[in-house]
Amino acid sequence: MSDDDDKIRKQAEKLLKGDLKAEVFPRAYEQDQILDVIKRLKESDGSLEQRLIIGGFTLYPIEDEDIEQACETCMYYLVHRRYCELPELDVPVEAEWSCRLWRI
Amino acid sequence: MANLLWLQGGACSGNTMSFLNAEEPSAVDLVTDFGINILWHPSLGVELGDNMKALMESCVSGETDLDIFVFEGSVVNAPDGTGEWNRFAGKPMKEWVKALSEKAQFVVALGDCATYGGIPAMAPNPSESNGLQFLKRERGGFLGSDFVSKSGLPVINIPGCPAHPDWVTQILVAVASGRAGDLTLDEFQRPKTFFSSFTQTGCTRNMHFAYKVSATEFGQRKGCLFYDLGCRGPMTHSPCNRILWNRQSSKTRAGMPCLGCTEPEFPFFDLAPGTLFKTQTVMGVPKDLPTGVNKKGYIKLTGAAKSASPEWAEQDMFVV
Repeated sequence: MSDDDDKIRKQAEKLLKGDLKAEVFPRAYEQDQILDVIKRLKESDGSLEQRLIIGGFTLYPIEDEDIEQACETCMYYLVHRRYCELPELDVPVEAEWSCRLWRI
Repeated sequence: MANLLWLQGGACSGNTMSFLNAEEPSAVDLVTDFGINILWHPSLGVELGDNMKALMESCVSGETDLDIFVFEGSVVNAPDGTGEWNRFAGKPMKEWVKALSEKAQFVVALGDCATYGGIPAMAPNPSESNGLQFLKRERGGFLGSDFVSKSGLPVINIPGCPAHPDWVTQILVAVASGRAGDLTLDEFQRPKTFFSSFTQTGCTRNMHFAYKVSATEFGQRKGCLFYDLGCRGPMTHSPCNRILWNRQSSKTRAGMPCLGCTEPEFPFFDLAPGTLFKTQTVMGVPKDLPTGVNKKGYIKLTGAAKSASPEWAEQDMFVV
């Protein structure tokens, strides 16, 4: 499981460093925005690329109104596995990454 | 013996069903061991038609002492304040409620609808429903904010959708056995003995709350339901995790978020569509924080707790 996670995490990092255009903004702050992103994730092909794009992933924390939105503090983040447990994302991540579904 | 009369207004009978499931004491124990004489109850009463009407008139006239008047369901005032939509024994139920409340030693509002208006009083409130002494958080209700029963107590509110059987029976026993003086009520007239602590008090998921590990799907045995699934346990006053349901479990123990049904705002009809089981957030921070916690403190605490969380907190420890 951990080896698989590492492999996918590295792949995600490579994609995010490359020309993949993640939808970082607008952040999903309003309930209808959250539901819209979730809906799109559910309707997507479920590929890693689509999850990264629709989720709006970055390799660094987005900061807004003095709140740093890093995976590290997100409710969906498993600290020890370094993993996003939101069922629609379900992806290995790093603590300093961020996405637009962040919630504390 | 303490005479008890129980009526239903705009109700689904949920509190009656709950009451009939009481175990310690049971509804039968109330009669045989605790001296409660049930004059009439919608599911237990034997009188029908004119006999029932005569019984109530006897209570109103004072011929029969009415010690405890229990009302379940909202007071229906529609249409146009007449109460004609809910007639009982020849006249609007609200007229019986008023007359009987004035004669009773104690008045008990049972369930959300009787206490605060509940589901029938949701906007736009077509039945013009009211609680006995509150409409949601607003004091007053059908009987008015100054109402006190003959004992000197205001309406004793036992909210819940439904109320736990023990909350009902234990209050009835206290009243019937002359210990009503021991009852202290909170600002919403709920007995403090039941409604001072939070639903979260005693929740088996508290360690996950502490380490900020979230449940992300219903029925998951690990994780706290507050962070993502809309659980209102940290800001709802009830003993649901101290006095278990069916002596076995509770909503949150079973993986179902607390809906906050003992609070006056229930059923929270201002929720955004699709958020009944989704924690509402403002910029990623829960809109409703645990009682007494501010946003800044919450963010600091969460960051620290999450970074300190042990590995076991992320795993399902409840193996079969």
